[in-house]
Amino acid sequence: MTPPPAESVAAMIRPTPVTGDSKANRDILRVMEGGSLGYFALVALSVGAMLAAGGVWIWQVYEGLGIAGYAHPVFWGAYIVTFVFWVGIAHAGTLISAILYLFRAKWRNAINRSAEAMTVFAVLTAAQFLGIHVGRMWKSYFILPYPNQRGLWVNFKSPLLWDTFAITTYATISIVFFYVGLVPDLAIARDRATGWRKVLYSILSLGWQGTSKQWKAHNRTVLHLSGLATPLVLSVHSVVSWDFAMSIVPGWHATIFAPYFVAGAIFSGFAMVLTMMIPVRRIFGLEEYITNYHFENMSRFLLLTSIIVGYAYLAEYFIAWYGMVEPEQTSFWKRAFGPYWISTWVMILCNGVFPQLLWFKKLRTNIPFLFVLSMLINVGMWFERYVIIITGLSREYDPAVWGIYTPSWPELVIVAGSFGFFCQFFLLFLKVFPVVAIAEVKELEIHAKAHGGSH
Amino acid sequence: MPQLLGVFEQPDHIAAAAKRLRDRGYTDMETFSPSPFPEVDDAVDEKPSGVRLFTLIGGLVGVCTGYALTLWMANDWQIMLGGKPFSSIPPYTIIAFELTILFGGLMTVLGLFLKGGLPSMKLHAAYSKRFSAEDFGLVVECRDRDVPEIDGLMRAHHATEVSLVEG
Repeated sequence: MTPPPAESVAAMIRPTPVTGDSKANRDILRVMEGGSLGYFALVALSVGAMLAAGGVWIWQVYEGLGIAGYAHPVFWGAYIVTFVFWVGIAHAGTLISAILYLFRAKWRNAINRSAEAMTVFAVLTAAQFLGIHVGRMWKSYFILPYPNQRGLWVNFKSPLLWDTFAITTYATISIVFFYVGLVPDLAIARDRATGWRKVLYSILSLGWQGTSKQWKAHNRTVLHLSGLATPLVLSVHSVVSWDFAMSIVPGWHATIFAPYFVAGAIFSGFAMVLTMMIPVRRIFGLEEYITNYHFENMSRFLLLTSIIVGYAYLAEYFIAWYGMVEPEQTSFWKRAFGPYWISTWVMILCNGVFPQLLWFKKLRTNIPFLFVLSMLINVGMWFERYVIIITGLSREYDPAVWGIYTPSWPELVIVAGSFGFFCQFFLLFLKVFPVVAIAEVKELEIHAKAHGGSH
Repeated sequence: MPQLLGVFEQPDHIAAAAKRLRDRGYTDMETFSPSPFPEVDDAVDEKPSGVRLFTLIGGLVGVCTGYALTLWMANDWQIMLGGKPFSSIPPYTIIAFELTILFGGLMTVLGLFLKGGLPSMKLHAAYSKRFSAEDFGLVVECRDRDVPEIDGLMRAHHATEVSLVEG
C-alpha cells in the first residue's frame, strides 16, 4: 500500500483554514454583482419616467406655472402633495435606524441599510418639488438667510422658513447617518473588489480596518447620531404639518396636525420599505437575512400607526362637529361628501380600514398580502395629503370664492416621474452599496458561533 | 521592533488575550474586528471614546447659533408681523433646535474622523481581508526577546495562528 502524498497528510493534521471570507459577506455582496435583463429594464423604466418628467418640467420653466392645474383659490396642488408624500416616506429609515437602535431592537439590522437609503433618496425627491412648485426655481435661494446688498433677511416667523431648516437638516443628517453606517461595510467590499470598484470603495471606506479605536468611535457616533436623529425625525414632519396648521384655513388649523402627520409619515415610510424590500428579498434570495419575522414586525408598526392615523381622522371630524365653527364643519362635510369624496374614501379605506386586517397573524406573515397592502397604503397616503391640501383650499370661508382644482397632465407626469427619480437611485444603490448592514448581521452570527460552537 | 499578529475566532478569546497582554505590560497593541464588539475594544483601552465631547460642543454651538442668527436678523431688518415682537422666542426655538441637531451631528462625524483616525491613507501591514470576514486580529509590538512569551500567551488564549508581521 502506497502512503498518501505528503501534502494530504499535512492537510489531515492541520486542515487549511478557510479564511478571507464569510457567508454573510458572500451572500450580501453577491447582490451587487452583474445585473439581469429585468434589472436594466427597471432602470430604463425609472430613468425614462424621470426624463419625461424632466422634459415637462423644462417646458413648465419656459411656459410658467400656468401649465399646472392651479385654479383660484387652489394654488397648492399636486406638487406640494407629492412633496409631503416623499418627506413622509423618508421617515421610516431614520425611525428604524435611530429609534429602534436606541430601543436595542436587534431585528432592525436586516432592514436598516435599505431603509436609510430610501430615506436619503426620498428626501432628495421631496426637495425637487420645492423648486418645481415655486416655478421660478432659480430664485429658490431667496429662502436662505444670506447676506445681500439690500440688507434684507428672511422671515423666521414663517413656517416655510422652519421647513427649510428642518428639511436641510434632515437631508444632511440622514446622508451622514447612512454613510457612517456604510463605512465598515465599504471596507468589506473594498477587501474583495477589483477594478474600478476597488478604487471607489478604497476612497469611500476611508481606510477603515476595524481597529478598537475605530469601532469605539464608530459605536459612539452611531449612538449619538441616533440620539440626535430621534427628535429630528419627529420634528421634521411636525414642521411640515405646521406649514398647514399655522394658517387659518378650515381643516388645516388644528393642533392634532403634528402627531397626526408624524404617525402618517412613519406609516407611509414602513409601507414603502415593504413595497421595495419584498421584491428585493425575492429577487436576490436574501430570505436568510430579511426573514418573515422582519416583515411581520414592520406590519405591526403599520397596524399601530394605522390606528393612530385612523384615530386622527375621527378626531378631526369630531372636533369639527363639536367645535361648532361653521366653515370648519362645512369643510369637513365637503371633504366626505363634496367634489373630492372619492379621494377621501380612498384615504379612509386604504389607511384606516384595510390595515386593520393586520390584526390577524396569518395575514401579517402572508408576504403577497403585505405587498398588495403596502401598495394600497402608498396610494392612500398620497391621497391623504391630496385631501388635506386640496379640499382645504377649495372650500375656504366664502362660498363665493370656492373653486375646483384638477391636476393637469404635466403635473401628473412630474408626479409619476418622481417615482422614477426615487427608484433609479434605489436601483443604483442595490448595485453599488451592500444592501444589508453586513458588519451588524455578522455580529449576531459570530455570537451564535461562539456560544453554539465546538469550544 | 517586531510585531506579532495573533488570529482569533471568538471575541471573548481575543478580549481575554488583549487584557492579559496589557497586564503583562505590552500596551502597544491594536485589534482588528469584523463587527463591533465592545468587550474587544474595551480590552485594549477602557476609556470611553472622546466623540461625546464633539457632540456636546456641536450641539451647544448649534443652539447658540440658532438663537443668535434669528434674533440678530429679525432685529437687523425689522418686519412687523401681526403685532408680534421682533424677538419672538417660540418660533426661533425651532430654528435653534434644527441647528442644534445639524451642528451636533456634523461635529459627531468630525469626532469619528479625529478619534477613529479616519481617513487613513494606508492600511496596517498586518491587516488582511480575513479581518473583514470572521477573524479577529491582535497585533502587539514588542522586543525580540518577548516574542516567545507573547506567542505562548496568545496560543493559550485560543489563537488559531500567531505570526510575525513583515514590513
